[in-house]
Amino acid sequence: MAGRFFNSETLILFGCSLLVFYLAGVPLIMLLYGSIRSAPIGEPGATYTIQNYVKAYFDREFYLLFWNSIKYAVGTCLVSFLIGTYLAWISERTNTPLKKLFVVMALIPFIIPGILSTIAWILLLSPKIGLINLVIKELLGLESAPFNIYSMLGMIWAEAIHLYPLVFLLMSAAFRNMDTSLEEASLSAGSSTFTTFRRITLPLMRPAMFGALLIMFVRGIEAFEVPALVGVPARISVFTTKIFLAIHQFPSDFGLAGAYAVTLLAISTAGVLLYQRLTRKEERYATVTGKGYRPRVIDLGAWKYATCGSAFLIFLLAVIFPVFVLLWSSFIPYYGVPSWELVEKLTLSNYKYILNYPLAVTAFKNSFYLSIGSATLVMLLTSVIAWITVKSRIRGRIFLDNMAFIPIAMPGIVLGVSLIWVYLTLPIPIYGTIWVLLLAYITKFMPYGIRAASASMIQINKELEEASLASGGTWFQTFRKVLLPLLMPGFVAGWIYVSIIALRELSTSILLYSYNSTVLSIMAFDLWEGGQYTYVCALGVLMVLLLVAMATVARKLGARIGIAD
Amino acid sequence: MAEKKFMVQIESLEKYFGEEKDRVHVLKGISLDIPEGSLYTFLGPSGCGKTTTLRCVAGLERPDGGKISIDGKAVFASGERVYIPTNKRPIGMVFQSYAIWPHMTVFENVAYPLTIQRRPKSEIRKRVEDVLKVVGLHGLEDRPAPKLSGGQQQRVAFARALVNEPKVMLLDEPLSNLDAKLRVQMRFEIKALQRRVNITTIFVTHDQAEALAISDQIAVMHSGKLIEVGTPHQLYSRPKRKFTATFLGLTNLIEGRVLELGGDSKPGRMETKKGVLSFVPATGLQKNQAAVISIRPEHIPVHKEKPQGLENVVEGTVKEAIFMGDAYHCQIAVGDMLLAVHTHPFLNVSPGEKVYLHLDPQSCNGLPAEDIEGMGESMLGD
Repeated sequence: MAGRFFNSETLILFGCSLLVFYLAGVPLIMLLYGSIRSAPIGEPGATYTIQNYVKAYFDREFYLLFWNSIKYAVGTCLVSFLIGTYLAWISERTNTPLKKLFVVMALIPFIIPGILSTIAWILLLSPKIGLINLVIKELLGLESAPFNIYSMLGMIWAEAIHLYPLVFLLMSAAFRNMDTSLEEASLSAGSSTFTTFRRITLPLMRPAMFGALLIMFVRGIEAFEVPALVGVPARISVFTTKIFLAIHQFPSDFGLAGAYAVTLLAISTAGVLLYQRLTRKEERYATVTGKGYRPRVIDLGAWKYATCGSAFLIFLLAVIFPVFVLLWSSFIPYYGVPSWELVEKLTLSNYKYILNYPLAVTAFKNSFYLSIGSATLVMLLTSVIAWITVKSRIRGRIFLDNMAFIPIAMPGIVLGVSLIWVYLTLPIPIYGTIWVLLLAYITKFMPYGIRAASASMIQINKELEEASLASGGTWFQTFRKVLLPLLMPGFVAGWIYVSIIALRELSTSILLYSYNSTVLSIMAFDLWEGGQYTYVCALGVLMVLLLVAMATVARKLGARIGIAD
Repeated sequence: MAEKKFMVQIESLEKYFGEEKDRVHVLKGISLDIPEGSLYTFLGPSGCGKTTTLRCVAGLERPDGGKISIDGKAVFASGERVYIPTNKRPIGMVFQSYAIWPHMTVFENVAYPLTIQRRPKSEIRKRVEDVLKVVGLHGLEDRPAPKLSGGQQQRVAFARALVNEPKVMLLDEPLSNLDAKLRVQMRFEIKALQRRVNITTIFVTHDQAEALAISDQIAVMHSGKLIEVGTPHQLYSRPKRKFTATFLGLTNLIEGRVLELGGDSKPGRMETKKGVLSFVPATGLQKNQAAVISIRPEHIPVHKEKPQGLENVVEGTVKEAIFMGDAYHCQIAVGDMLLAVHTHPFLNVSPGEKVYLHLDPQSCNGLPAEDIEGMGESMLGD
């Protein structure tokens, strides 16, 4: 009871920093360290070397690899930006009919794991078996397939159509938050709608646009699913697949993978840093004002049917075709174009096969536990971190914030390589178990958790917390009884998001799993590599159902625990 | 006050905000003794350090120097490296925003200080019921907190602060979030409540009218320093410092130089632009010192004819007279100086009229002209 000059806040900061350092800092250090070692630590004769970089950079194909990666990322970024921004503009700023429906449809691709959408696009656009190709060939009597997914353009298309919902969200928010009286002032000053758009709207939107472009570029450069499933057979290599192959070849070349990973990390870090610099000012303003402007809606006249039609065309391509091909393929006994003959043969045998497949049960369990476990732990950890960075005035909190954000710049495959290095080196025997996956997921999704938790934390009046202290509550009681319940809306939102992206995670898991720690996305990958298309689709449909169920339950539970907002 | 015990004692409290370069010195050696059972007010303009001092007592801010004890026990002492955290101090606090937890009912909010100590259920129920009766919220136990009005929220906040029978109750501008009418009503309620439970209470406000109405004692603060302590009556009618005179209510200041200090029942004499005036000197005033005479507008009788046999009579011209119902508020030019004067509503004065003002020596407080440094722009409170 004797008071000391010591407080629990410092202890909490210290504990959190240590944990975050272990999760985010150690892998980064080990990656850099590993890339300058000739062999994994502990192996006899391992020395410091620059041989890995020499081997990576003086490879004849390195510049082709670099060029491909950039082309792929820029292409993805531009296409997804155009689609996402166009849809955001239609739904926020025009009087296009049915725009409420667009918001829902624009977000559906979110729930489809990347590996499934990639598979769906192969099943649609493959020159040999692609449904769209086959149908068009049939209808127009063409000799060869009009589209080829196994090309740079095909890859860009498959990736962009998967990523555009994020652009849609970012740009919708930007359109919504813009003070339209600024535009009205320009109009009333006598300038035309077009001049206003060019001189006022565009400059105001520029930070948001660059921000969205940069995020998409980073997403493109770190993408794994499309390059692995489409790029590898098409012999189009990018960094992520090169790293994957360096580890999956026999014997694995960890050093070379490390050198490529460091290069990829440098590119994505540059993108993230640029993005943060760009948006820092904007975000600061956003928290200060946070006004809900009523956007000025542009009357498109008859054009509104054209915009409505074009939006439906996009959804046909982005949602309906992929979902249809997955569903269709999951119910047929062997892969083929829809026909009456096949309709009569529709069957549940693919689902039966999956549910009786021993590994599938393990994969479902693992994915489920990992998803729920990582989402819960991430949100608990990041709630405390958000408290430190938002509420406390402890010195060193900025450092913690920055460290916890490191993983946002780490492509999944790079994190995988880093963790291989960590657990090949440290005497912690979890390599190849489900625990290393759990740690990887927590590390990878920590930044998303922080974002959700800090956004809610900012809204909680400091006095609500002080009132608990003044009532005799300890820090822990205050956190559990006052802060956590008040954080619940943000906590649940973050939880749902993390559990969804955890359930479909592939690029990190693929370097860290073993037979017993297989997860759903890896099983889908393996089934696909084994050519069992119909089984993959059945598995995919089950995966999506699980995702929807989890999100629904979480939302229901959250509404009961938290306050109605 | 010899036998009276002090519940809260603050000694040379120091506090800085910010780090290194932009460090701001917010508390510059505050020392206070707060008697047991009294309603003690920290009054001052925003930024004077009153809330910071309160938060130091609560333990929500950690001072950089000095000592604070509650009921004779040190809760903070920089020398002995003592710092008792907020949750271990015998306090109850009412916040400016009330800080009623929106995810709990009235009962859960009020019971919180007891539930976290794991008291028996029956005891909690009994004590919450009792305290809700005291604040006049009996029967609203199960109401969710967001469904309370402003006044009800405040009562919940009081109940929560009182339920654990703290030794000190801390009130951080609890009335500033209420509308004007309710604010005046709640003054009386707080005063009555404090008398009823007889708990030592520290009240922070920037509203001088509120402070005068509610307090047993007021500590006037400015720029991180304690200016003066006294009862509302003392501070209003016999301030010792120029800042107190200007901050509490309206006053007129006439500059001059002390000729004679007087003594016993004899008034002092001061040389001013309006001639030599008699006044009551504040303690510590020196002969030949630059000084001001402070006189309140309602203490200046106005005569239409020059009164005979009176000291301190000056001649002036009415510039403006505004009828306020209970008085005329006049601006009267005396030479190049404007004096604010409140006259009886029956004394009909009109602009341009020549009048005589009686600056009664008993109402003229002679105060040192030099007050603390850094004053000036925020001299006039609201």
